[in-house]
Amino acid sequence: MENPVLRVESVVTRFGRSVVHDGVSFAVARGEIVALIGGSGSGKSVLVKEAIGLSRPTAGRIHLLDADVWGLTREELNALRRRFGMLFQDGALFSSLTVAENIAVPFREHTDLPDALIAPLVGFKLSLVGLPADTGGKRPAELSGGMRKRVALARALALEPEVVFLDEPTSGLDPINARAFDDLVRALRDSLGLTVFIVTHDLDSLLSIVDRVIVLSGGKVIADGPVREVKAMAHPWIKEYFSARAAAT
Amino acid sequence: MTWIRHASENGGSVLYLTGAWRLGDLRPIAAALESLSLSGPRPFVLDGSGLEEMDTAAAFILYRYLASLGCTEATVSLRAVEPRLERLLDLVRERMQSPPVRARSMHRGLLGRVGASAVNVWRLLKAHNAFIGMIALELLDLVRRPRLFRARETVSQFETVCLDAIPVVCLITFLIGVVLAYLLGVQAQRFGAGIFVVDGVGLAICRELSPILVAVVVAGRSGAAFTAQIGAMKVQEEVDAISTLGLSPVQVLVIPRLVAITAALPLLVFVGDLMGILGGIGVASWQLGIAPSVFVDRLHSVLPMSAFVVGVAKAPVFAIVIAAIACRMGLVVSRDARSVGENTTSTVVQCIVSVIVLDAVFAVALQRLGI
Repeated sequence: MENPVLRVESVVTRFGRSVVHDGVSFAVARGEIVALIGGSGSGKSVLVKEAIGLSRPTAGRIHLLDADVWGLTREELNALRRRFGMLFQDGALFSSLTVAENIAVPFREHTDLPDALIAPLVGFKLSLVGLPADTGGKRPAELSGGMRKRVALARALALEPEVVFLDEPTSGLDPINARAFDDLVRALRDSLGLTVFIVTHDLDSLLSIVDRVIVLSGGKVIADGPVREVKAMAHPWIKEYFSARAAAT
Repeated sequence: MTWIRHASENGGSVLYLTGAWRLGDLRPIAAALESLSLSGPRPFVLDGSGLEEMDTAAAFILYRYLASLGCTEATVSLRAVEPRLERLLDLVRERMQSPPVRARSMHRGLLGRVGASAVNVWRLLKAHNAFIGMIALELLDLVRRPRLFRARETVSQFETVCLDAIPVVCLITFLIGVVLAYLLGVQAQRFGAGIFVVDGVGLAICRELSPILVAVVVAGRSGAAFTAQIGAMKVQEEVDAISTLGLSPVQVLVIPRLVAITAALPLLVFVGDLMGILGGIGVASWQLGIAPSVFVDRLHSVLPMSAFVVGVAKAPVFAIVIAAIACRMGLVVSRDARSVGENTTSTVVQCIVSVIVLDAVFAVALQRLGI
């Protein structure tokens, strides 16, 4: 892969005695939608936190957008942070601000745009993620889970990032909302050339929008490839994973 | 950088887009659009042959400008735009129908604000009152079915409310005893009446200061803790889970805290009495030359038992009010982090104000009763 957007090289993570990652390596190319899957406690979310500079791996290197995430100074890391967006599992909206103010935060902090330009941009970002304009005046506590995720996505997309990380983007959404969210992500990728890195255990997302699946199990990458190939693999965990899906549908 | 150039070709208007249209350059781009000073509505052709990059924000600003001229989808056409940028422009055009958002704001005049807060205080008092009634009913239930009582939880609360508070209560009441004895001593010495410091310190500490100080400390420590604990549980839907399991949140959360704090406060007041008097003894012997044995002897003869009893008897009343306010403020937290903080602050303020108001009521009432 030439010039990948995200490159994880033999990352090892230990919490006390428990080993979460035992030499994890993979790469994500520009414009790809990649899903990282694995059972609960397999360290998916930890890996994302390490990739975006929130939690330091015990060993190994992580390159994001041609920068060595853990070799950067504070300023460089903050500059890098403007180039990717992160959607946290529960949205992580600031509860003291309205929806519109939440989305305006990145504009206010990182651009010199006047309020007269920010307000319409915020309205546009809301409609970009498919929310009605009157959502802007509400508080996050007044929104449903699906709406909160959309607002969080709008905030993550505010600064026109090159990469977005989505942590369980569709968990807690009903199937219709989940599908709508997937369609939105794919539309954004197709038109914006966004690279999307999804951490999920929701298989429906996987099959419909993902280019490639990386399977994390026992602290290692046990599979990495298109959905169809991964599905056909003989690894017991993968077999069980996909047969659980077959049984459910 | 020109960003955009207007030209008339074959009777139509063509807008040549050039350069990289990015969020970082949005200000100059918006300015460039305005400086075109076009008038509409008329058909436009967007020529993208010189366009290198574009992001959604820039595309939005462009379309917003065209929309402000009265252009619609039918009157704007694209020419020589790279397919990926065309997709982006289409996405933006599809999604931009909604009008701009303004955060709601409600500004009231001075009179309106005073009125609104008066109404709020009245509602708050009514709701607190109702909550105390609800606790009373649950307590009645407890009398009928004593098995509902949660002894373990109560004891654990008692430990944090009472035992853990002893050091800070000791420190504060001791220092207030010192200050009081010192102030009284300075005055009394002028009249050669140093021994009356004992009367003053004993009465003031036992009857007023120790109960008030202890109640304020407990309101700040435990009241705030109650609201924050119950509030956090509310946010995590634990309170709903308690109800769903067929338990009463009041029985599980409120009554153990209420019982613990009601038992703890009189004991803490007693500790406060001792420490305050100890502070007084220290200053009296060091500054006024009154030996501790003389101090204690005098205290026995001048401090009426009623002063001590009144002080300790006020404590459970303060405790019930603190527990009721703190627990209710926790239970009415709405589901966000900010609300927990707001209610915790509010609890401390309300508890301290209520304690002082109640103390004033006690002072007047007991005076009238001649106690």
